[in-house]
Amino acid sequence: MSALHPFSLLAIAAALPAFAWILPAPGGGLATATLALVLALVPDVRAGARVVRVAVLTAAPFWLFLLLLHDLPTTVAMGLRITTMVASFAWLVAALPPDRLVEAMVARGWSLTLAYLFAATLSAVPVLKARARRIVEAQRCRGLSPRGSVANRLRALRALALPLVLSALHEVDERALALETRGMGSGVHRTPLAAPPDRPLERAARWALLLLCLAAVIWRLA
Amino acid sequence: MSVRLLALIPVTVAISLALSAAVDAVALPLFLDTTGTILATALAGPVVGIAVGVLTSAVNTLRNPTFWPFVVVQIIVALYAGFATRAGLFRSLKTAVPTGLGLGVIASLTSTPISYFVFGCTTTGGIALTTALGRALGLPPLGACFFGSFVSDFGDKAVTFALVAAVLHALPRRTAARFPLALRAMGAT
Repeated sequence: MSALHPFSLLAIAAALPAFAWILPAPGGGLATATLALVLALVPDVRAGARVVRVAVLTAAPFWLFLLLLHDLPTTVAMGLRITTMVASFAWLVAALPPDRLVEAMVARGWSLTLAYLFAATLSAVPVLKARARRIVEAQRCRGLSPRGSVANRLRALRALALPLVLSALHEVDERALALETRGMGSGVHRTPLAAPPDRPLERAARWALLLLCLAAVIWRLA
Repeated sequence: MSVRLLALIPVTVAISLALSAAVDAVALPLFLDTTGTILATALAGPVVGIAVGVLTSAVNTLRNPTFWPFVVVQIIVALYAGFATRAGLFRSLKTAVPTGLGLGVIASLTSTPISYFVFGCTTTGGIALTTALGRALGLPPLGACFFGSFVSDFGDKAVTFALVAAVLHALPRRTAARFPLALRAMGAT
């Protein structure tokens, strides 16, 4: 599955939840949820089992709260739709490395800016999360107490959040300089090093998925 | 878009996502997941804010796909923060907090239909439980769903606006002046 073109993986992950909402419940939702979970198990069952576990653990609270708030038919209908959405995205995240998506986007002529934003964000998030944890530990060492009244906790939140946000903003200049030295502002089209192959059959299958979705909408509205 | 503003976008998205560590430490029922959107808008305007909001939703979606339908809320937040920036409403906590409360109402109104029709009001445990409380109080299903969203959004957005105002005022004046709208957001121009 991971040999497929990134756009094909995206198309499948988007089509499954779309069908789950379009097709009549509960049969449509059951079929799409089953398909999404089975997809995760192909071709490596052991790795797929981890994806299925993530999907089930993510979807489980929704089923619980749906049961709390709705009757059984509504719970089953909505639960299957949400499970399809969760399972297909969990499968997508496991099957599609972000750098492969970026290569595909650049190869297709998408702006390098968009590819940079996606890749830079994915790399910046763990760095800032680690820094946030260090700030929390450092402020605790200095005697900051994050417990007590709401006002006390809000003051503690300010003491934790401000250093994180300010240090991150001070990085913007360094990042801008690094981007300029790499010619980001030049507007020149880049050539990807290893663009994923996009076979004609896959392109046709993506169009077929889109047409099937439209046909299903028309069928339901008719 | 200038290279500086381009560099600002991933940083502010990461701020939104990393603040959860600070929220966990103080154990308050807050999300602060729109901090980056509001901060980017206050520094550089609603176009950059919308880019940050969409990207925040996209990255959150990789962790939990139920975030994606709420991308509309991030766009509304950026547009509202753009209005607040133009009006200089980040000039003090006295103006920022009421503006944030206003956003809490608008964000609840925007997120309620998505939460109700797509997820049956089960987006988070807190919202589901407050929705159940609303149902127990006799509210109709959609009203109970709004009640659940309102309780979680109202305080969150006020704290987020206060935090962004505090950040803007803590920035050295020379640093703030490098961003096109920071001084205007603080009412300094």
